[in-house]
Amino acid sequence: MQYNCRFYLPTSGHPMIEPKRVLRALAEHWALLEPLCEHFDQGTLSLSELRLQLAAQQLESTPQDITNLLDVWIRLDILVPVAKSPNRFELNAQIHDFLSYLRREHRLGLCLEIEAYLRHLERLAGYIQEAFEARDANDLARQLRLLDMRVRDVLKKLANDEQALVSVAERAKTSDRQIPLRQRYAEVLATWDEYVEPMIQLVNADGAFEQGVRKVENVLLRMLTDQQRLGHLVDDDMLLRTHARILEMQTSAQLTLRHARELLLPLREEARRHNAVTRGAALALSAIRRRGIDAVPQAAMPMFTRPQSTFLGSANQVEAYVYALARFEPKPARFPKANLTRKGEPAQAPRTVKEMVERCEEALPMPDLMVWLLEQEPTGATDELLYWFSRLSREKRFKRERLERREYLTLEHRVSLRSFALLSSKDATPENSEGTAHAS
Amino acid sequence: MHLDLSELSQLAPIFRELFKGYHVSRRDPELYAQLSNFQDQYRTLFKALGFELICDTRGFYYFVPDLAAAQVNKTAQRLALFTFILVEHLADQGRDPVAVLDGGSLGRDELPSLLEKYRDLFLQAEVQTQEELEEKIMRRMTQLGFASEEVGIYRFLPPMHRFLDVCLSVQQDRDLAASLHSDLPLPTPVLIDDDSDEKLLQTDDPLDLAEFDETEETEEQALARAIADEQELDA
Repeated sequence: MQYNCRFYLPTSGHPMIEPKRVLRALAEHWALLEPLCEHFDQGTLSLSELRLQLAAQQLESTPQDITNLLDVWIRLDILVPVAKSPNRFELNAQIHDFLSYLRREHRLGLCLEIEAYLRHLERLAGYIQEAFEARDANDLARQLRLLDMRVRDVLKKLANDEQALVSVAERAKTSDRQIPLRQRYAEVLATWDEYVEPMIQLVNADGAFEQGVRKVENVLLRMLTDQQRLGHLVDDDMLLRTHARILEMQTSAQLTLRHARELLLPLREEARRHNAVTRGAALALSAIRRRGIDAVPQAAMPMFTRPQSTFLGSANQVEAYVYALARFEPKPARFPKANLTRKGEPAQAPRTVKEMVERCEEALPMPDLMVWLLEQEPTGATDELLYWFSRLSREKRFKRERLERREYLTLEHRVSLRSFALLSSKDATPENSEGTAHAS
Repeated sequence: MHLDLSELSQLAPIFRELFKGYHVSRRDPELYAQLSNFQDQYRTLFKALGFELICDTRGFYYFVPDLAAAQVNKTAQRLALFTFILVEHLADQGRDPVAVLDGGSLGRDELPSLLEKYRDLFLQAEVQTQEELEEKIMRRMTQLGFASEEVGIYRFLPPMHRFLDVCLSVQQDRDLAASLHSDLPLPTPVLIDDDSDEKLLQTDDPLDLAEFDETEETEEQALARAIADEQELDA
């Protein structure tokens, strides 16, 4: 903080800089300084970089003008050379803070700073007590002023930190949604760990903040009582004002903390949830790679309800299936001999649903599904034909329109049902009829 | 509770959709509004009919099946697998998976690269081509109300939280993490069976009777049971 000393206090090596001249220069060059602040927020600038920046803002200025301007800033300690890099410059830290304040930019401080202030308040309370006991009115008034100023420092810092926290949350929320959350919320997570969490400890009932406040409060209240008894060293109002400010500081700290939690906790939870989701997915994929798709534990899986199957399946089919299952016997595989020719017609392979749906699609628009099925499978068994009727009429690619009940002749039976005309679902008007076919 | 059926003006479409396994969310404003306004009435009515209506506070409704009737559900497994893959794929690409799956969107043109990258895993879900990916996964997602599709863009809907929850519970499942390093078998999911439409589309057997399997018996178990039954009859 050497610049601090140079700016405000005359030291043996550095002449006092007149505050008015600094303020005048800041006001006069505000348009040039403000854009530079952003660069100085990121780091230092070399002399040539500075010249380039200024030249870009002052197109009509000559190199000599820029040299003169920089010279003024350096003489006024607005710009200071970086230690051990005389060709690089940065803003005087005090000026930088002042400009940040003017630009309503808030940099989050450290929780440790607040703790240090609190420790100092405790020490001041001790000095106040000593001054009171020594009946030193001047020292007591001085210590009370110092305490009051220190409390104001804490209040100022809490207000600054709160604004900085709002900015952290805003940056996280408004940054590109396409970048990974871990990256997007890195600042939130770091802020939580480095500021909010220690603040929670600090403001806890048994934390340094509460302890410090209690200690100062006790000293002030005891002093008020003692003054009544022993006579006044300082005005009671001064003690009461200080006491009120201490309480304001305590409330302010709690509000800042609450605000910080409200702002950052949801974002932190979101980031944590996001990490958990990504990790869970990776874990599940790893399990599936090793053990197959059944590896995901059943308890974790969502369950969907499903309507009872509405497609037709004759009792005979079920019976035949169970019968075949019960009579199942493994047969030794017999491969056809190369020199033998196959006798008779080769058995027709059963039609697949895909095949049938495609054929049906090709035949659209279809005035009567059942008629079409009978044409396609004139020798088909009745139960198979009914199965296809049910299956194809429910196919979502088709729109159906119910027809009047009539009779159809299969190879073995006479079937009475209300068939459907089928259209492509793309070019048909919606049809809400849920009517089903009734075979008899 | 007194039920006034005249209040439940969307009862028929709501029941039809939920019964199909559809998840009703704000995308279906009329149905969703009805369910929100008369949540208790609908829940009571459906409960009396033997259906459990779940009202998820994240903005969706669905029927949860009776556990006793649950079977291994290929669709649930496929959709869960797809969610895992998508989360990992998006995270690999530096995109935010939760933002995409919670109301975000995915272009259909992204599917081929996804399929190529995770071919081995998709194979386990019997998905080998883009058509199968669209048919068996994306179409099912839209049919069940997990996503909507418009002009080649899939938009994910609030019910996707059910799959994000799977990721979270897997992450919390220490047994699963431990089992990755052991040889113990993992529990089999007990889930509802697939919708017949899809199953029939994938099978080559026109008389596929898997629908009639009442429990999750293996073939051997079914055979053993049938033989035992028969022997009992013979005796």
